[in-house]
Amino acid sequence: MMVPAISTRAAAFALAALLTAGFPLSARAQLLNLSISPTTVTFPNSDPDTVPIVTSAVVQVTYRVRQNNNNPWILSVLANGHLIAGSATVDISNVSWVATPSPPFQSGVLSRTVAQRVAGGIGNQANASQGQITFRLANSWNYVAGLYTQTIVFTLTAP
Amino acid sequence: MAGFSRSASFFLFLAALTTAPAAAQETVTATLSANLGGLAKLTLSSTTVTFPDADPDAFPLISPATGPLTVTVKARASAGSTVRLTISAVDDLRSGTFIIPVSTLTWTTAGAGFIGGTVSRAAAQTLGTWTGSGVNVGTQTYRFQNSWVYAPGTYTLVLYYTLAAP
Repeated sequence: MMVPAISTRAAAFALAALLTAGFPLSARAQLLNLSISPTTVTFPNSDPDTVPIVTSAVVQVTYRVRQNNNNPWILSVLANGHLIAGSATVDISNVSWVATPSPPFQSGVLSRTVAQRVAGGIGNQANASQGQITFRLANSWNYVAGLYTQTIVFTLTAP
Repeated sequence: MAGFSRSASFFLFLAALTTAPAAAQETVTATLSANLGGLAKLTLSSTTVTFPDADPDAFPLISPATGPLTVTVKARASAGSTVRLTISAVDDLRSGTFIIPVSTLTWTTAGAGFIGGTVSRAAAQTLGTWTGSGVNVGTQTYRFQNSWVYAPGTYTLVLYYTLAAP
């Protein structure tokens, strides 16, 4: 028996609409918001003997996760390279961070190859939530003098 | 039949879209800025060197009673630059009106980058040179050239150590 093509399309649309209505949360993309302040993290010049670990000002992280059901979410950070000043470099692994509150935040060490977990959880953060990150640079007499910079990328992901 | 197949394929594609959404992602970028400016730090194990009285025949060169000085040089310098440690004197050894030329003071050293020399009041003398940043530790031992011609007395002299790291 020949089924008219137009009828099948209509049925398909109707069924898809039903599926969408029946599973509205799983069907919708997650809504994620992420911001940090300040966006420039500064380490002041310091005597390595008296200040072996140079700390930055606190970076405020504000995030929000919606329509995520009971799925996990993760905030990670990846450096785009080592600290660079002209031809001189300081390995990015000399930069670590301490983050609060824990959980969902955790401390870690920057990497330029593998994104490092900064925070993570399950489900939604219906209201904007905040965390505080303090970056730390291992100071040394062996660094070549210079003004070093590098960018780091924070990524908030929900599968 | 051909029409049914096309519709079924379209339906499956739509269903997949509605039940398995792509991962959501939000990114922000921050800039790290580290001011690792030039620094220089010099440490001496003692700021006083004392030479004992001695028979010039038996001890033509007198070593300090306080032993060698340990000199610690720390510098954060620009790439390839020369870090230099010098010693200068603005006067001779003096005891009241009596004078012993400062050139009677010499020194020997141990440690990478450290070099021996003679104190001068005319120009700063180099105690050591190094390239670039780092920590260098060595010892410096003064010698005083003894003589029968010196007038008895307690002679003193101030020496200035200068560490420069460009």
